[in-house]
Amino acid sequence: MVSYIIRRLLYAIPTILGVLLITFILFNLIPGDPSYDIAGKSASAETIAEIRRELGFDKPRFLDTEALSQGRIAAAFDSQFFNHFRNTLTLNFPRSLTSHEPIWDEIKSRAPASLTLAAPMFIGLIATSIAIALVVAFARGSWVDTILVFICVVGMSIPMLSYILFGQHYLAYELGWFPILGYESGMQAFKYIALPCLLGIASGLGSYVRFYRTVMLDEMRSDYVRTAFAKGLSSPRVLFKHVLKNAMIPIITTLVLSIPFLFLGSLLLERFFSIPGMGSYFLDAFNSRDFPVINAMVFTTSLLYVLGQLVTDICYALVDPRISLR
Amino acid sequence: MTEAALTSDIAVGKGRSLWADAWRRLLSRKLVVASLIVIAVFVMVALGVYAGLIARDWSEPVGPRYQRPSLEHGFGTDFLGRSVWRKTLYGAKISLTVAFLASLISICIGLPLGAIAGYFKGWIDELIVWLFTTVNSIPYIILILAFAFVLQGKTLFGYPLRGISVVYLVIGLTSWVGLCRLIRGEVLKHRDRDYVMAARAYGCSRSRIILGHVIPNVAHLVIINFSLRFVSFIHAEVILSFLGLGVKGEPSWGVMIDDARQELYRGCWWQLAAATLAIGLLCLALNIVGDALRDALDPKLRQGLE
Amino acid sequence: MAKADGHILRVQGLKTYFPIRRGVFSRIRGWVRAVDGVDLDIPRGQTVGLVGESGCGKTTLGRTLLRLIPATAGTAWFEDELIFSANRRRMRQLRRQMQIIFQDPVGSLNPRMTVQTIVGEPLKVHGLAHGRALRQRVVNLLEQVGLSPGYLNRYPHEFSGGQRQRIGIARALALEPKFIICDEPVSALDVSIQSQILNLLADLQDALGLSYLFIAHNLAVVEHFCGEVAVMYLGQIVERAGSEDLYRNPVHPYTKTLLSAVPIPDPRTKTACQAPVGDVSDTSGPFTGCPFHPRCSLAQDQCRQECPQLREIGPGHFVACWRTE
Ligand SMILES: Nc1ncnc2c1ncn2[C@@H]1O[C@H](COP(=O)(O)OP(=O)(O)O)[C@@H](O)[C@H]1O
Ligand SMILES: [Mg+2]
Repeated sequence: MVSYIIRRLLYAIPTILGVLLITFILFNLIPGDPSYDIAGKSASAETIAEIRRELGFDKPRFLDTEALSQGRIAAAFDSQFFNHFRNTLTLNFPRSLTSHEPIWDEIKSRAPASLTLAAPMFIGLIATSIAIALVVAFARGSWVDTILVFICVVGMSIPMLSYILFGQHYLAYELGWFPILGYESGMQAFKYIALPCLLGIASGLGSYVRFYRTVMLDEMRSDYVRTAFAKGLSSPRVLFKHVLKNAMIPIITTLVLSIPFLFLGSLLLERFFSIPGMGSYFLDAFNSRDFPVINAMVFTTSLLYVLGQLVTDICYALVDPRISLR
Repeated sequence: MTEAALTSDIAVGKGRSLWADAWRRLLSRKLVVASLIVIAVFVMVALGVYAGLIARDWSEPVGPRYQRPSLEHGFGTDFLGRSVWRKTLYGAKISLTVAFLASLISICIGLPLGAIAGYFKGWIDELIVWLFTTVNSIPYIILILAFAFVLQGKTLFGYPLRGISVVYLVIGLTSWVGLCRLIRGEVLKHRDRDYVMAARAYGCSRSRIILGHVIPNVAHLVIINFSLRFVSFIHAEVILSFLGLGVKGEPSWGVMIDDARQELYRGCWWQLAAATLAIGLLCLALNIVGDALRDALDPKLRQGLE
Repeated sequence: MAKADGHILRVQGLKTYFPIRRGVFSRIRGWVRAVDGVDLDIPRGQTVGLVGESGCGKTTLGRTLLRLIPATAGTAWFEDELIFSANRRRMRQLRRQMQIIFQDPVGSLNPRMTVQTIVGEPLKVHGLAHGRALRQRVVNLLEQVGLSPGYLNRYPHEFSGGQRQRIGIARALALEPKFIICDEPVSALDVSIQSQILNLLADLQDALGLSYLFIAHNLAVVEHFCGEVAVMYLGQIVERAGSEDLYRNPVHPYTKTLLSAVPIPDPRTKTACQAPVGDVSDTSGPFTGCPFHPRCSLAQDQCRQECPQLREIGPGHFVACWRTE
């Protein structure tokens, strides 16, 4: 078990380094020197030199061979490549090109708003879809099952943007049930996140219900549930106790699989409802071509995702000891 | 029963391949046939747009601005008085082109990488697994936007990347991981099967084994994967177009949704409805066919969470 | 002693080990000694049986001989050619002369190929026939193994187990080999079909002058089919003798248990079979002495310390056991 956890932790290291390599290629190698881009065509030579220094683009790309030949080892590694790894790993991001604020501070100040939206959305989505999936699985083979599954597929087919636009327009603007947009921290926040949350859940429900339905059906086909039915236990009780308990393992794995969905949801929902979270930060940076912010966001979200996978895998191994023997 | 008796059981003639079997099973379901027809219609519309037969004059105003759907105006008109119906038809071309080319790129990366990793094992496998774990550890939407950010406005082999080419390139370059992982797993299973051993025993070269024996046995996974993946490509095109990264000067469904955002506050819901309906109908048909394909070609495969 | 000495195949000191990887860095922590020092001769035009419990390394031995699995140590001659050191070009020639028939009639045929492609591919790979000539060859091969030429365009899933095994045999014959490894070709078949396939193999041997290494996991199948039988236990040959000799006069305690485990056709007497003492033990750890000693009722101190070598105790009868002196 301990060996498994250690191994799993060690596996995360090359992945994180790989993410750094990809961001280096994306933001340093492919674009080349972005200073002209940033400063504009009419910028003076000093401004450009200033930007280059600020972003570290005046350094050699991989290795300072001159310093190396002179034996100054530390100076030799003062290159774009190694600085990228060092600074990103230590979360020592540069300042934003547009707001000139330190990126990490900005991320920290925006994280609570994102979390306020994402956490209820996540819990609501999982809970609702498991509940519906239980109903569907219980009614398996009947017309209720067929119709609900069909509705799920229809729900999956409609793009998330349509949910958001229709929801915001009719439920907030026309009917006035929710504020149209905006955000306040503290208890007031719930007033503002209610609609985005609901829309996020609605758009994800189709695929989640369908997935959990297969998981539940697999469990129901297993022998011990059949035995329990045969012993004459009342069906709903069997369903809840046995099936749900054993479906726990596949459900745990879906939790981490949901993270990308949450990011997409947060991105679009924060944009539409003007919630000052990380998603809108990323989109704003995207529109203003603020690449240090994009770089920082790619790294932090990947870090979160990798950590999420790590925790899930370890939980998984704790639930099912056979895993650690592999 | 003796062998000879068994022998006469099968009538002499043409055999039924696993493909033919699956196709027959597919056509035996009404809903699937209907979905196939829907997909065929969309494809035909897209080809018609390419040929200049359909929605050629989509940019011409057909009436006053902001007309409701009616007998006279069909699906209604947009903020420039253009026909929403024509724009919707035109959007089929963009969506299907993006989804098709993105699939092609994605298969061209995922299939060989997966097959090589699975067949050769060893360090090359570890390298490929590392590559796809890494790519997979960046949340999809972030990855896709980061790629789009970087590729936009660049040139590739002399071709300037803008509009639609960025869209399919970005989607294709970021979505091969699922297929690669799937193919690798399946090839790992097949490489030690006896029929591969037999091929090695009579001196079949490695490339011939991979291309002639192993790939045909995993090809159905490519088809299943992509019939389901097509849906997420179409949705990705919508998001990218909406974020201003997609096509410019042509109406895609994502551009229509973006246009509709402004119109909604005037009570003009029809452009959004038309785009949603088109996407919903095509994706519904694709989902149904994808599921049916999976059942027909590989009943063991469990559906994952996309 | 060099070369195969007139035999079709001569194997000396053959070892095939598989690494066991464990721990944080997947380091090699030990070896599965699947084949552990095997000597074997196969006379031209004859059949040698190889018998042992499942998991004792028979398949690994067969596949190592065809270089489908790398050998760890040892030498093997096919006629006058060293198998394990043959270069690519020579190996390609050797592959035309040595072929294999598999146990599993389902897994050994590519499900996406027609019979024509399956049987014809070896010829294609070696550039021996094309177009109509290829088709004619395949038809002849099918007739040779008792299948109708009308099956050319059919797929494996449309056949019964016995028919599939015939297709596998036709594929092995395509290159006109001199030597075929039959890896439990009838174990997966119904008893009624088994004898048909065995008869086919015997007929082909007579007609084409083939030599066989015939692998089986019980002695019953081998008895009438092989001139000579080798008994394998945990990667080693423990007894080797002419078929009749071995049945009438088994010497090694393991052979005796195997013989007593031969299923007796009458179901009422089946329960009388004597099961081997204990289980197949782990081959990965450090191990001294005779591989069979943990299960042997005759084991004494010497058996636990030293590994016995094959000794000739009668004409053509070899046994590796300390307790037979
Ligand atoms: N590729 C492999 N990797 C590791 N161990 C193997 C491999 N193939 C076979 N073995 C082991 O080698 C031993 C002999 O296997 P095998 O030759 O298949 O036995 P048999 O054919 O006599 O049943 C078994 O213990 C098996 O677990
Ligand atoms: Mg075997």
